Amino acid sequence: MPLNQDVLWYKDAIIYQVHVRTFNDSNGDGIGDFVGLEQKLPYLQELGINAIWLMPFFPSPLRDDGYDIADYHSVHSSYGTLEDFRKLLDSAHERGIRVIIEMVLNHTSDQHPWFQESRSSRDNPRRDWYVWSDTDNRYKGTRIIFLDTEKSNWAWDPVSRSYYWHRFFSHQPDLNYDNPAVREQMWEVMRFWLEMGVDAFRLDAVPYLVEREGTNCENLPETHAVLKELRRRLDEQFPGRMLLAEANQWPADLRPYFGDGDEFHMAFHFPLMPRMFMGVKLEDRKPIIEILQQTPEIPPTCQWSLFLRNHDELTLEMVTDMERDYMYDSYAGDKTMRLNLGIRRRLAPLLENDRRRIELMNGMLMSLPGTPIIYYGDEIGMGDNINLGDRNGVRTPMQWSGGWNGGFSTAEPDRLYAPLIQNPVYGYPAVNVVAQVGSEHSLLHWMRRIIDVRKSNVVFGRGSIEFLHPPNHRILAYVRRLGNEVVLVVNNLSGAAQAVELDLRGYKGHIPIEMSGKNIFPRVGDLPYLLTLGPYQFFWFRLRRI
Amino acid sequence: MKDLIISELSQALHDLQIAFAHYLPRLIVMLILAFVGWAIAYAARMILRSILRFIHFDRLSENAGASQLLAKAALPPASEVVSRFVFWIMLLGFILLGVNVLGILGLQEQVGKFFFFLPRLFVALFIVFVGLLAATFFARAALLAAVNANIPSPKVISLAVRSIIIVFVLSIAFEELGIAEQTMLVAFGIAFGALMLGLAIAFGIGGRELAQSFLERRFVRAKKEENEDELSPL
Amino acid sequence: MADETFLTDDFLRQLVNVGEVDILIGLPTHNNAKTIGSIVQTIQGGILRWFPRERAVIINADGGSRDGTPELITGVSIDDVRRDANLHALRTLHSISTRYGNSPIETVALRTILAAAELLQAKACVVMSPECSIESDSISKLLRPIRGDGFDFVTPIYRRHKFEGLLITNLIYPMTRALYGLRIREPYTRDFGFSGNFASDFLAQQSWDGGSNESGIELRLTLAAIAGHRRICQTFLGDREHIEHRGADLVPALRQTVGTLFSAMDADFKLWSATNGSQSVTTEGPDHEVLMEPLRINRKRLREMFASGVAELAGVFQQILSPPTLAELQRIASLNEAEFHYPADLWVRTVYEFAASYRKSVISRDHIIQSLAPLFRGRALTFLVENRNAAAEEIESNIESLCIEFERQKPFLVQMWKARE
Repeated sequence: MPLNQDVLWYKDAIIYQVHVRTFNDSNGDGIGDFVGLEQKLPYLQELGINAIWLMPFFPSPLRDDGYDIADYHSVHSSYGTLEDFRKLLDSAHERGIRVIIEMVLNHTSDQHPWFQESRSSRDNPRRDWYVWSDTDNRYKGTRIIFLDTEKSNWAWDPVSRSYYWHRFFSHQPDLNYDNPAVREQMWEVMRFWLEMGVDAFRLDAVPYLVEREGTNCENLPETHAVLKELRRRLDEQFPGRMLLAEANQWPADLRPYFGDGDEFHMAFHFPLMPRMFMGVKLEDRKPIIEILQQTPEIPPTCQWSLFLRNHDELTLEMVTDMERDYMYDSYAGDKTMRLNLGIRRRLAPLLENDRRRIELMNGMLMSLPGTPIIYYGDEIGMGDNINLGDRNGVRTPMQWSGGWNGGFSTAEPDRLYAPLIQNPVYGYPAVNVVAQVGSEHSLLHWMRRIIDVRKSNVVFGRGSIEFLHPPNHRILAYVRRLGNEVVLVVNNLSGAAQAVELDLRGYKGHIPIEMSGKNIFPRVGDLPYLLTLGPYQFFWFRLRRI
Repeated sequence: MKDLIISELSQALHDLQIAFAHYLPRLIVMLILAFVGWAIAYAARMILRSILRFIHFDRLSENAGASQLLAKAALPPASEVVSRFVFWIMLLGFILLGVNVLGILGLQEQVGKFFFFLPRLFVALFIVFVGLLAATFFARAALLAAVNANIPSPKVISLAVRSIIIVFVLSIAFEELGIAEQTMLVAFGIAFGALMLGLAIAFGIGGRELAQSFLERRFVRAKKEENEDELSPL
Repeated sequence: MADETFLTDDFLRQLVNVGEVDILIGLPTHNNAKTIGSIVQTIQGGILRWFPRERAVIINADGGSRDGTPELITGVSIDDVRRDANLHALRTLHSISTRYGNSPIETVALRTILAAAELLQAKACVVMSPECSIESDSISKLLRPIRGDGFDFVTPIYRRHKFEGLLITNLIYPMTRALYGLRIREPYTRDFGFSGNFASDFLAQQSWDGGSNESGIELRLTLAAIAGHRRICQTFLGDREHIEHRGADLVPALRQTVGTLFSAMDADFKLWSATNGSQSVTTEGPDHEVLMEPLRINRKRLREMFASGVAELAGVFQQILSPPTLAELQRIASLNEAEFHYPADLWVRTVYEFAASYRKSVISRDHIIQSLAPLFRGRALTFLVENRNAAAEEIESNIESLCIEFERQKPFLVQMWKARE
């Protein structure tokens, strides 16, 4: 299956986020690798995935799960060789699957040779590649991101006897983007991978590239200038490739990252995600509608990226204090689940393994405007292990079968990079791909079907959205539209059956056709359209005018 | 001569015997009717008395003020009076029936008239009774309203209301009985009209101050009282 | 419930859209356009501030307003409240309105609100009257005992002028206390809180077929709470400002309070005849506070109305009161203003004899109530004179001794009740 050649392929993408390490181990060393991932591409293809996003796999001391990079031109030996990666790329492309990789621009590991050189002496040619200071008073007022571990954005380097700037962990010194050499070098890094065939980059931590005194050192114009330059070169030399921004900001602050269609192609819509969880818990559509109504228009070539969960904690940075307290009390009663203003749990445990709620959340993910990202394992409802520190509880091995090591690896269980989930509810004997493939009504089959419906209708990825406001606030209803294609989505956010009357006067005469079973519903007339929905049920209707 | 007298006497006796024999059965029937009538009337009286006790008729009549009237006239309580009245009416009715049987012509007509009259008598009595009740009720209501609105001479107003209603009720009752109907109606009309005219004159001319203060109270009351006690009872 | 069709289709549809709620605020209105906007904003602010996570709804039962009151209620946007008070709304807050008739009838308004509470499974409810201004924390004070402490019924305590509400302080409060055994300061109140549980029971127990049930429903609610052994508490709400002066008509007030109380005594005889003394009720905040501003009162008029009432209504009183009581009243009526004194024990005896006569319906019951009016004026005059220069504590102790007198003479009432059987 050849790659979709459309320049806007990312608008129709279904992205699968996976860490090489967690997916499949081909050589029995307990750690997933490229070859293993390549072996599982048929599974992904059958699921309906057409783009995978790989977590960082560059050489790294792994003190921040690979986001501390020690070499930009190679791959970590645990995962294989550069040649393995090339083969993976080619196989993926053959199956019509694009590959998105991480590019950490903001900082490197302190083990990176550049930093080693930079810190060695003040006269080193690479001295200026990082942000040094004799005092830790500069850029005061800049917030600390990893609140649970870091006390300051400056770290003392005993080697060069000065402070260096780090927005993340202290072992991740920030690169200095005021230095043209740094900018040149980073483009060169990107080009290296683009020439190999990588289709897109997720640029990590982009708001923090440039610092200026007297600001909060986030989202500065200088940062945008750097990014626009990268994009310009990308469009020039590699048309059809894509840049995805990771910027945990309010929608209004995110807007600049799209520029005029000359900066990022895509960005994560961070504030929406906790509000989806809140809406389901409150049984009220208000938080969801409000954030989407506050979301600004973006250039026509740009796209939001939507997700339910990812490798990080479910971040509650972009909500008010009251909302955060509510989310904590509702979803993370056990305080050990809370981390860095977020909740470190997977999708299924958050929703109490309630199949209906899982389907509802995925239904919203697939029907709201934006490109959906599925976190590996959530398609089978994997659980988490909060006893593993930091965010590792949601990064356990993929559960392929009920057999040895859940089918992940042939190694001894003690050698696995992380233990498998064992408990009776989410453990690999209960939740695994083989079992779900064999069961017609498993979550996996359901995910395949809904992805299939989503992909068959371009309106989801490219259409406009118009919210309906039925008086019953437990119902979230909206119309997606692209040209003549009209889709009505109705979601019941409540755990009780609901009746709702929708004002569909603008669609009088249309016949709603339910999109999974293809059955027709009564035609829209003059009166408000009455629908009844079971607990957490949702409908997708194509409104067809015949 | 003697024989003529004797034969006339015996003829007369004979005639009398025949007439007696003629009327005796009827007389007996009449007596039987009277007796039966008495029994039925007595039973009816007992039953009626229980019924009236059951519906607290005495209390009703107390409300109507009828009890007071009866007491003044040294009559027994209302339920007793009513049941006895019914008793006597029924008895009279049966006796008259008996008399009817006797077949004495002139009497029959009168009996018929009596029975025609009876229902209307009951209706009239009922009207009066209800009317008395209403009069008492409305008179008291007017009294209370006048007292609470601080209108002077509330008793007069109350009496006026009572009188009007009683007169009205009486005239209807008399009309029902067919006794001097026109007279009663006209009398009522005159009395009522005179009262209204009097009031109008009083208010318009003689009772100017009274009318003025009454109106002031009605419409200016709020303002005046606001300067004084603005107390809410609740 | 007696007759469900008294809720309109449109209102039911609105209720369907609201769904289950935790808190319900009932607002009965009639032509309150001048003030209702700010009242609703205060209510919304209160909900946002103290109950942000609860599902809440404001139900307006309107008795045929012609000044656009309902539209003002449903139109108050929560965003105005948020902006002004810098509060965040987690949930949708509904405001719905229904018109239950063309003229205001408290009974129907309350029934509508209770029915809505039952259908929406509200846990805690509050009814607020738009006649008086409300503080922003009134909602919280009425709801928290129900939501947090499991009470079923919450009555308010107001800081009022010492001479306001004499009917309550001189009759309703002491008599309810003496009969039902609970010291509830405001048994007749238009602002109160209640649990959804209690609402359902009350709705089911009452016969709603109109007639004598047309007024005094608020007092009936209190008595039902006591009779049903519900957990009751009082909470201090601060000042009670009549923002709309609706007139101080004594006779309708008597009907709503005394008439209701006398009617209820029949049904509740078993309960109140067995109660001895009285107990205090859990109270949040001070249980009495008075404003001491001087007030000009027309004492002469009060005395005149008392005296003329006693004289003119002698015939009526003969049927209601015992001869000694009536004689005493006539004696007092002949006193001049300086000597005038309607002592507490006589007042209590008067009231009790009225109650007994009411029970027997010696004359029309409504007339009995009306005839109490001049006597109450006399009593009010005595109270005003006694407390003219009194400090707050002294007034309170005077009221307390009146209450004791009511309790002391209660056996006499019970005796009269049983005798007239």
